[in-house]
Amino acid sequence: MSETITIPVLLVTLIIPLASGILAFAVKGELGRLVPIVSSVLLLAAYIVILFPLLSGTQLTEQFSVPWLSTGNHIIRIGIVSTPVTRLMATVVLFVSAMVHIFSIGYMAGEKNTGRYFGFLGLFTFAMLGLVWSANLLITFCFWELVGFCSYRLIAHAHEKPIAAYAATKAFLLTKAGDIGFLIGLMILWTQSGTLELAAVTTTPGTWSTIAGICIFAGVVGKSAQFPLFNWLPDAMQGPTPVSALIHAATMVAAGIFVLVQVVPVFTPDTRLIMTGVGVVSSLAGAAGAWLVTDIKKILAYSTISQLGFMILALGLGEVSGAFTHLLHHAFFKAGLFLAAGSVIHAMHRAAQHQPGFDVQDIRNLGSLRKQMPATFTGFAICAAALAGLPGTAGYISKEIILHAAQQQNLWWLNVAVWAIVFATPLYIFRLLWFTFLKPASHNLTVQEAPWVMRLPVLLLAAGSLTFLFRNGHLNSFASQILQTDLTVPAGIVIGSLMVTVASLLIGWLTRNAKAPATDFLIQTFLDGLNLLLVRFILFIATLARSFDKKWIDRFIHILAYGKVALAHMAGFTDKYVVDGTVHGVTLAARGLGGITRSVANGKIQSYLLWAIAGLLIFITWMLY
Amino acid sequence: MPYLSLLIFIPVAAALATLLIPARYTRAFPWITLGVNMLQLIIFIAMTLHFSSGEGLQFAEQHAWISLSLNTWGELQAEYLVAVDGLSFPLVGLSVLIMLIATISSWNVSRSRKGYFALLLILNGAIIGSFCALDFLLFYVFFEFMLLPMYFLIGIWGGPKREYASIKFFLYTLLGSILILIVMIGLYLSVQSPERANEVVHTFNVLHMQHLENFIPGSWLDATSTGTWRLWAFALLFVGFAIKLPAVPFHTWLPDAHVEAPTAISVILAALLLKIGGYGILRFVYPVFPDGAVYFSDWVAGIGVVSIIYGALNALASKDLKRLIAYSSVSHMGFVLLGIASATTEGVAGAIYQMVSHGIISAMLFLIAGVLYDRTHDRLIENYSGLASHMKHYTAFVLIAFFASLGLPGFAGFIGEVLIFFGAFQSHSYNNLVPLWMPVVATLGLLLGAAYYLWTIQRMFFGTFAVRASYAELNDLTAREYAMLLPLAVAALLFGILPQLLLDFINPFAETFTGTWFSLGINTNP
Repeated sequence: MSETITIPVLLVTLIIPLASGILAFAVKGELGRLVPIVSSVLLLAAYIVILFPLLSGTQLTEQFSVPWLSTGNHIIRIGIVSTPVTRLMATVVLFVSAMVHIFSIGYMAGEKNTGRYFGFLGLFTFAMLGLVWSANLLITFCFWELVGFCSYRLIAHAHEKPIAAYAATKAFLLTKAGDIGFLIGLMILWTQSGTLELAAVTTTPGTWSTIAGICIFAGVVGKSAQFPLFNWLPDAMQGPTPVSALIHAATMVAAGIFVLVQVVPVFTPDTRLIMTGVGVVSSLAGAAGAWLVTDIKKILAYSTISQLGFMILALGLGEVSGAFTHLLHHAFFKAGLFLAAGSVIHAMHRAAQHQPGFDVQDIRNLGSLRKQMPATFTGFAICAAALAGLPGTAGYISKEIILHAAQQQNLWWLNVAVWAIVFATPLYIFRLLWFTFLKPASHNLTVQEAPWVMRLPVLLLAAGSLTFLFRNGHLNSFASQILQTDLTVPAGIVIGSLMVTVASLLIGWLTRNAKAPATDFLIQTFLDGLNLLLVRFILFIATLARSFDKKWIDRFIHILAYGKVALAHMAGFTDKYVVDGTVHGVTLAARGLGGITRSVANGKIQSYLLWAIAGLLIFITWMLY
Repeated sequence: MPYLSLLIFIPVAAALATLLIPARYTRAFPWITLGVNMLQLIIFIAMTLHFSSGEGLQFAEQHAWISLSLNTWGELQAEYLVAVDGLSFPLVGLSVLIMLIATISSWNVSRSRKGYFALLLILNGAIIGSFCALDFLLFYVFFEFMLLPMYFLIGIWGGPKREYASIKFFLYTLLGSILILIVMIGLYLSVQSPERANEVVHTFNVLHMQHLENFIPGSWLDATSTGTWRLWAFALLFVGFAIKLPAVPFHTWLPDAHVEAPTAISVILAALLLKIGGYGILRFVYPVFPDGAVYFSDWVAGIGVVSIIYGALNALASKDLKRLIAYSSVSHMGFVLLGIASATTEGVAGAIYQMVSHGIISAMLFLIAGVLYDRTHDRLIENYSGLASHMKHYTAFVLIAFFASLGLPGFAGFIGEVLIFFGAFQSHSYNNLVPLWMPVVATLGLLLGAAYYLWTIQRMFFGTFAVRASYAELNDLTAREYAMLLPLAVAALLFGILPQLLLDFINPFAETFTGTWFSLGINTNP
């Protein structure tokens, strides 16, 4: 095995998803039925391409960059940055995406528009990988926007449903609001350091750096669904469930955290403090939301908000490796949870297709699925344990690291918050598990276990959520490369978190039969209300602008035009009565004068004689004097 | 080979030839026009192969045109002077492409086809002439020649309110050209040709006007005088071109003209005629009056920002699809002003890039509106929903055009906007011409842009299918419509992914523009 794998290998991982996407768009008709399988195979191939050198410990060190855009004395280069962080992220993205592709073979079977679905799935993966490999923040931003576009189109996959269209629009606009901040942040960074190369970006400490940091962070707040821009994520559940898995685990929301992981070193302490604050609020609000709603997908969506908040809080503390590890672990267990939930929904849909009013996503309608869907249950339970941070799972490790980092800060609100999250997470995920799989069912439908193409991805992702994969083998050496911290945390934290988790599960068990709260007040009443108010306000301003355009500018123009016409009429009047009047007057005067002279020259010899004598007299008089 | 004269006069000659053909051969006229477009395309491709981007003005043709001795007033001199550089060459290419698309779009015009295509050909020659002319008088002739065909094309082949729209368009633009005329005469009286040093030879040559030493000492617009005449002249000339751009508050002719104009004419209007405004500012206003440019820089940028936001808000409130697209043009052309005002290489290159990309994308947008109007004769957004389920290919192009227009990376619009933002942000620390808050506020335009497009998609294309307008058939795209939309989509994508294709042409111009001409103005920073 050669020691260095050249950049083409990395480029291949980028090209394969793109090719898969284009293929899915292009192929129509009978051949189109092969698209799901071909796409899945392609994605798996891409995963193997990247995994193989990774496992064999081969160094992928070569950098690659070509100029893309140059103007003035600045050049933007397209480059691939190959560090342990980007390679690990790309591996996880490709793995989750491959799983989602395989799962979709079963989930989308018999659906319309699978070509478009797999097309955007491939494009989505491509965009995310581009973002991961990118060595320049402007290119990162390009892929960042592309990720947003793909998720927009996938959320609106069932575009005939008005609610799906609404959810997609909302998702795009709220993230776009953050992206505006990102763009401003990039501009400030660029004016400050004259480059957007990831490796070269620096900031000079000061207010501008803080503002730049906050602006970039605003982009992350939108993309990673953090307070106050998080209300698009629960609505985005309108998209097909595998898409949710992809959005929540590997692409859309993960993009925000991933970019933060890369740029957080240049952030100022002030920016980081704000990040911690936002992370705390989001993780608490997310956990509360997850406990309050009853829609199976919405619970998971709120849980994502909470988990991402947890990561952002860690990033704010400077615990970059902890946050990044948690991002990777989260990718596994959250994708597993979503795909398992997708299996449940898919199976329930089939079972309940003759009961139109039956809401298959409401956990109060589910139950006893453990027996009917044992494989799905196993996968779901393992992933749920990882989310809850039980020992032996991947989620446990990263949770402890972040807890440790938070403990070292002397911020009481921070400590209260992290312990509250440690307590709340097992509580809501146990409730979900209980209602869906364990509780006796209130219905008597016969539910069939999902086909193997759907079971296998869930189980693989569940296996990925277990610790041994990360503690042993090559992945571990790889992880320790980036972690650069030992995984030992003080015993107090280990014991404390264990006790809190157990207490949480115990309370969950004791209150398992209590009536489930079912309210979405956080989103529907509060944030959506605020949003609606804002939208109304903007629309009001827009109508104002429109009436201004019509009433004032156009009216002004019309008045000018009327003025001109009036002026023209006046000119016409003048022409008719003054100018023509003068002319007529002159003619009249001339005629009058002519009349007088005519009356003088009247042809009578006597009067001529009279004038002649008078003239002569005048002449003589004049001569004498 | 006189490439440029061929480009300009082949359509004019064809227009004259068209007039000789009896009107009953209705099928001949579009074919003749298409032939001319193809010929132009070939000529343009040949020019591209010969164009050397580092060289500044090229393909120059210079002939004596008017030469009059005026005794004590010196000598009147106007030349036939055409040439292209990094500013005009991309715009000429854009014109060739768009006129081709416009011909295809006009294929089924039903009323008096002879007159229509003859006017289209005259318009073609006049537009390309305007982009190439470097003699102010020659430019003015072409500029005015554009106006008349446009007036008739809207006024005869337009929609129900065409008379109002065409007269409004005509008067507005005429006002602009009068302002330009005033300054042109002033410049003519103040500038002497350096070619004959001993005698005073007045000239319309724009290149001579761009050198302050060519201004006659003591003349009206003498560069060394301390009076405010030069500032006035800048303002008048700027407004003259800003009407064409159009910038708020000189824009209200645009929505009416667009709404009433037939599709092909809307396309030409948005893609090419608006560019004359931006082109004029870059070619005449800024280089001739750099001092005014510095003095008024925050006004120019401010008008740009107001256009961006105000245009976007109006688009958001529009109920008519074509009106929405028209206002989005106002918003996007505001970016051009912002880029120019920054007077940085990035900003100016971005402004030119934005003009080209807007030319491509707005053409797509108006074609899209036309596709729907052809089928239902209704443009009200509220009368449609769920079109995506009936017209898949059409919806795909709508998505491409809308997202390209709202600045999705990968499409040409993004490059222009991002370069403009680079320039405008940099200006604060570089030459302090644009206050920092202006580009920050302008970014809101991006958000509003996303809002009106996405909202339109949500209302018209998603949801359950319903059309509240009478229609015979709601087919998906025809082959002819594909032939119009596909090249534009490919161009938008190509220039979005490989920006250097275009920037290689634009950069040298932008550098010269900011480097030599602006160094003169910066010194007299008030």
